Amino acid sequence: MTSILECQDLTKVYGKVIAVNNVSIGIGRGETKVIFGPSGSGKSTLLRCLGLLEKPTRGSIYFNGVDVYASKQDLNKLRARIGFVFQDPSLFRHLTALGNVMLGLKHVLGLSDAEARRKAHEALKLVKMEDWANYYPSQLSGGQQQRVGIARAISMDPEVVLFDEPTAALDVELKWEVIAVMRDLADRGTTMLVATHELRFAREVADEMIFMDQGQIIEVGSPDHFFTSPNTERAKKFMAKILG
Amino acid sequence: MTPLEQITFLLKAVPVTLAISFLSFLLGLGLGVSLAFMRIYGVAPLRYFSDSYEKFFRSVPVLAVMLLLYFGIGPLVPVFKDPFFTSVISLGIVSGANQSQIFRSAIGSVGRTQMLAAISIGLTQLKAMRYVILPQALFLAVPGLGSEIALLIKDSAYSFIIGVIELMKHTDILRASQRSLILPYIASAIIYVVMTFPAATYLDKWGSRKKRELGL
Amino acid sequence: MLFLLDYSTFIITGFLITVEVTLIGVGLGLILGILAALGDIFGGRIVKIIVNIYVEFFRGSPLIVQLFIFYFTIPMITGISMDVMVTAILTLALNSGAYQKGYLKGAMEAVFKDQLMAALSLGLPMWKIFLYVVIPQALRIVIPAWSNELASMGKSTTALIVIGVREFLNTGISITAQTFRPLETYAFITITYFIWIYSMLKALDILYNRIKIPGLEPII
Repeated sequence: MTSILECQDLTKVYGKVIAVNNVSIGIGRGETKVIFGPSGSGKSTLLRCLGLLEKPTRGSIYFNGVDVYASKQDLNKLRARIGFVFQDPSLFRHLTALGNVMLGLKHVLGLSDAEARRKAHEALKLVKMEDWANYYPSQLSGGQQQRVGIARAISMDPEVVLFDEPTAALDVELKWEVIAVMRDLADRGTTMLVATHELRFAREVADEMIFMDQGQIIEVGSPDHFFTSPNTERAKKFMAKILG
Repeated sequence: MTPLEQITFLLKAVPVTLAISFLSFLLGLGLGVSLAFMRIYGVAPLRYFSDSYEKFFRSVPVLAVMLLLYFGIGPLVPVFKDPFFTSVISLGIVSGANQSQIFRSAIGSVGRTQMLAAISIGLTQLKAMRYVILPQALFLAVPGLGSEIALLIKDSAYSFIIGVIELMKHTDILRASQRSLILPYIASAIIYVVMTFPAATYLDKWGSRKKRELGL
Repeated sequence: MLFLLDYSTFIITGFLITVEVTLIGVGLGLILGILAALGDIFGGRIVKIIVNIYVEFFRGSPLIVQLFIFYFTIPMITGISMDVMVTAILTLALNSGAYQKGYLKGAMEAVFKDQLMAALSLGLPMWKIFLYVVIPQALRIVIPAWSNELASMGKSTTALIVIGVREFLNTGISITAQTFRPLETYAFITITYFIWIYSMLKALDILYNRIKIPGLEPII
């Protein structure tokens, strides 16, 4: 099975800090993978590189088998095919929920106003925010904003959706509504690569879990594997801390 | 002339004053937005140019620029022999530098995360500026722009020195013809205050309100 | 441009007058601004109204008109005539004070809110609190805005031409009348203004970075 999105020997350096150190991972159609690990392990940086939002210092990124940077493709077109959900929803403040979702549809995909509106409503329905279509971000709770953020990402029918700690910035009671939406998406067969601390979610829907620490991949395995008997010491310690 | 006639005479010049202010504001707007864009997204030479332009024209008096253009360049380039044109250009050039600073600060306040979110859905940087950053920056810039308009209305008075027939010139004509040193100046001052008041005050209030609404 | 050397004393005198008038004007304006701000914070209704009329008038009308009023109108009404320079400095000071009141009031109120409880708990009377706690901190906070005012005033001094003050730009007009070389003369004057004002701003910027209090952000 060819992967949709894949990186090889990815390294990202900021000044003197090596955020991501020689990482090679990939995700195939329909798969749901979860990257987890302590804060500062490089998960976010890795995702941003995979999402083509930041250029790697070394290494290559392959989208549908083609080296993205070497082939000098139009990055903007590719970004439209890779959905990205941020930790901080980053909704466009001056637009309503509906407007936020419609923006990409109209100005990146070139849909007509009516078409864009229809698709946007569909996307909002999927995340159960259709009643809030005309509300502005400042009028929505964190969880609601995040759900709109997810709608914005999936409305473009991306081939893969990357989630960068989508619930990390939310209060406990607001997390569940976002996780419910994500579980829904996974059940529908969306290709998802998620960086998160929500290991319960991972256990229920992930096909594979990837443990990262200090910029490197330490261990890879199925959720059962991690929950029963991880191999490495670091993974064992981390699982104990989270579950204990 | 009765006082009422004098005041009417002064008021006749208001359209010219407002025209000068409005036109130079537009010129400054075009320049300011371009310079701000150049400074944030341009290549090194453009950034340098924008920075230098802003630094220079924020440190020179408008009147000096006006005299330079009218008396210095006028003889060489006939267009600048027209005082109205020259005053609009001078005010606009300087306003461009001020507005560049206003927009840069507004764009900066919008935040990097908005740009990141915009490119994540595939918008080009240009489109992101147009549909995401600028709309928000415009709201943030309103108070600053309000005081800039007020400033231009006041500085339009300088143009009477090179012969433009606007409010200040009318005031001077009254003084000479009526030999009155009281009514023309006081009335003129009040008319200016009335002209600048809405721009300076209401735009500021509107801007603050919008900021709160958007959660900025 | 070498012909300008012939007029060097004339030019230098004019420049010095501009600098002198700017500094004195802004300095006096600072005092007036502080008084106006205090009046607005502590004064009764009448004081507040007077302060607001003062500020709205001087901020809402061009400096040129204000100069005419103080040079022609007021002497006509009161019968007192004043020296040109005195009129100029007085008007500039009043004008500057109106602008400075705005950010001075903001700075004082911000510091006041923070520090009032602490100062009172020490038993300091209100006037001492202002003198020793609020104003010293407020002055440091306003430096960026104040340097803006200094630059603004430096540029506004060109308005003094209309009442005949022999400041820097005016010397340019006179020289042009004699040498018929407007381009070089005015270019020289414009560039000199730039060098002067830009250096002032830079110097104040450096000063601000040296003495700023970490954690106290300026009011923009």
